Amino acid sequence: MADEVLFDLLHLELICTYASSADECKEFDVSKLETIGFYTGYRLVERLTREWARFKDELDIMKFICKDFWSSVFKKEINNLRTNNQGVYVLHDNAFRFLTKVTNSNQFLSSTPKYLAFTCGLVRGALMNLGITSVVTADVSSPPSCKFQVVAQRM
Amino acid sequence: MTIYNLYIFNSAGSCIYYTEWHRKKQAGMSREEEMKLMYGLIFSLKSFVLKLSPVDCKEGFLNYRTSKYKLNFYETGTGLKFIMNTDVNAVNVRELLQRIYRDVYVEYVVKNPECKMGKEIVSEVFQSKLDKLVRSFPIFSNRIL
Repeated sequence: MADEVLFDLLHLELICTYASSADECKEFDVSKLETIGFYTGYRLVERLTREWARFKDELDIMKFICKDFWSSVFKKEINNLRTNNQGVYVLHDNAFRFLTKVTNSNQFLSSTPKYLAFTCGLVRGALMNLGITSVVTADVSSPPSCKFQVVAQRM
Repeated sequence: MTIYNLYIFNSAGSCIYYTEWHRKKQAGMSREEEMKLMYGLIFSLKSFVLKLSPVDCKEGFLNYRTSKYKLNFYETGTGLKFIMNTDVNAVNVRELLQRIYRDVYVEYVVKNPECKMGKEIVSEVFQSKLDKLVRSFPIFSNRIL
């Protein structure tokens, strides 16, 4: 694995390239970032699961995302996972890697969405390749902790 | 022992950060003027020291001391300048300045896209981490001597 700082800085530049062009209008165009995240996650999970047996069920997959997937990307596990058992999962990270350097108070709160878009895509891509079509959103109430909500689409 | 204040200048010579802990006497001029004066002092001292050195000196200007305070200077490879005023007996200030650079500046300014390079540092997380590090150092003490 390449040095962590390389990933951090590359991610930072991705944000600057794809999100700050729309600096004037309040709404950041984060769909491009999300797409990059999606394909990264899609390919990454292929590599990470090469030594895994097939997953039992959806919850099993979510546990894999929270533990192995998260620690291979962010060097830490998700702090808390909640579910309503109907396809909605909330992943709680108390110190989200891309936010810890940026803010630990309400400063810059309005620009936090762009730091989360890539990761939303990453999770969505990983789940997609494991057979779960989902919608992933993120929300930050008190940085650097944040919540990712995964809504699995039931066919 | 005590730490009075800290200045950070970028390589172009503008002050990107200033903070104080125990400063008992103000300069009697605007902040802006004070920064220019400080930079001028450092700039001149650096060239004095290099020119007047009778031997080849590697580190150059490190600190000076008056009867009341000591000015500590640390310049990084990229030309960033950290200046910290402490009381005369403070030791290991250089180590502290290096740690401020390595553990706080690099982590919370360089890796923070909200901090534009070469501009004044407004990040609150930088401020709080800096304050925490400085206060944790043995030479920092609330007792004003």
